[in-house]
Amino acid sequence: MSDEPRVVAEGVSKWFGALVAVSDVSFDVGPGVTALLGPNGAGKSTMFRMLCGLAKPSKGTVRVLGRDPRADLAVTRSIGLVPQQESVFERLSARQFVSLTAKLHGLREPAENAERALETVGLDPADPRPLPTFSKGMRQRVKVAQAMVHDPSVLVLDEPLTGLDPRQRADLVELFTRLGSEGKCVIVSSHVLAEVERIGSRVLVMSRGRLAAAGDFRELRALMDDRPMRVRVRTDRPHALAGALLEQRAVVAVRLDGDDVLELDTADARALAHTIAPVARERDAHLYEVRPLDADLEGVFRYVVER
Amino acid sequence: MSTVEATPAAAPKVWTTLPALYRLVLRSQLTLARILGIGALGALTVLLGVFAGQDADPAQAMRVVLTFALSVVVPLATLWFGTSALGDLVEDRLLVYLWLKPVPRWQLPAVAVAATTTLVIPLTAVPAGVAALVAGTNEIALEAFLAAALAGFAYAGVFVAAGLWFRRAAWWGLAFVVLWENAAAYTAGGLTRFTVVGWSGAILDSAPGSPSEVSAGSAGAGLVVLVAVAVAGSVVATIRYRRGELD
Repeated sequence: MSDEPRVVAEGVSKWFGALVAVSDVSFDVGPGVTALLGPNGAGKSTMFRMLCGLAKPSKGTVRVLGRDPRADLAVTRSIGLVPQQESVFERLSARQFVSLTAKLHGLREPAENAERALETVGLDPADPRPLPTFSKGMRQRVKVAQAMVHDPSVLVLDEPLTGLDPRQRADLVELFTRLGSEGKCVIVSSHVLAEVERIGSRVLVMSRGRLAAAGDFRELRALMDDRPMRVRVRTDRPHALAGALLEQRAVVAVRLDGDDVLELDTADARALAHTIAPVARERDAHLYEVRPLDADLEGVFRYVVER
Repeated sequence: MSTVEATPAAAPKVWTTLPALYRLVLRSQLTLARILGIGALGALTVLLGVFAGQDADPAQAMRVVLTFALSVVVPLATLWFGTSALGDLVEDRLLVYLWLKPVPRWQLPAVAVAATTTLVIPLTAVPAGVAALVAGTNEIALEAFLAAALAGFAYAGVFVAAGLWFRRAAWWGLAFVVLWENAAAYTAGGLTRFTVVGWSGAILDSAPGSPSEVSAGSAGAGLVVLVAVAVAGSVVATIRYRRGELD
């Protein structure tokens, strides 16, 4: 398996009139699973559209296997895409849809390949129902099947786990991981942090159209865990608990909000998480709520971008 | 879950991809509402043919019926099918599933024109020919059929391209049919040669008794122009499909 980059973006920007959707993004992706992480509106789908040749960069270049995916028809044989939109052909069954994809890719046995692809994503190829009658999760798996029926070396998956139940998510994550370990270049986008943690070891973080960070997910996770964080705590003994936490240096600042709510500023969220329960027990304080106030993705990305 | 192992792909063959795309477009165009709506227009043409047969001057009455068929039924039917052929795929954001394939870009617009023509001929051209037969004007039935069929082919090119170029293609197309193909073609004599209805009228006019209200030239020239319009529409649609950006 060659570790050479399969997908390369160099100085890619995309704007629509005055709106800049993607700004000067450069990265390369090799074999294995890479997660493209970012909040909604970060520019992930626009980036994916350019990676697949569906949209032309306003500036910069995109290469897939060394070729321009917009100009070179042949390279489309090596790309499989799960688009974000839910729409599918209304009159077709799952088997007809995936078989059509196989035919358009020139596979010699389209029906057999379609059956295999559908079985791979856990669907019954003999199901004759038209696609609109499928659940959202089933339609999502059909889209994954059509993306991989021609065994592409590059798989671009835009929010592929949307609408799936936990079991289906686990199955597809396992599939993506295996495809990555077999040498495929699998790029998966998501705005759900926990999802990415299971999908990929390598992450690209996009925020406001820019590439905010790139690297190993564990490093990013550590960075996020180490950042200053504000935590809301509701307790029946706020003064005693605040004093104890300040004494233990688990927090750097405390603000009392009403009679029973504390807002704690901590430089080490992980340490606070380990400390707060024993301290509360020592001071005979009941904890009714412990909630990070800026743990959403926007907050994480803001920190990554601004640090 | 096992991993897919696809049979190695060769470049897709045109005799595999064209029928597959044709069936897909045809299937997506075939809705009950469209079949009933266009079928009703076709049935109305035949009914008018029956009435024309009972007229004191069936040949003169058929002039009116065929003017209605060529100016209203054929363009409206083709407008409905043609703009939706690829326009629906754009609107439903389904084109992405066809675009990212190693299939030459000309094929999809070409099959859209073919599928639209396939639907328009039995629903509008055949009734035009049947109307001539039931009116007892057998001598113009073939020309009536050919004129309507070739007009449908030409309009298919125009409206398939419009479906890709314009967001509200059906409304643009309706304006085109009313203002250009009817108002301009029938009132401004010099413009007839720039209309589909003028050249389909030329084909109809080659029948005995010159039964067309408008004619832009000879039947031979009409054949060439109408085919050229269909091909040009397909080329324009291909350019748009190739250069356009997909959601």
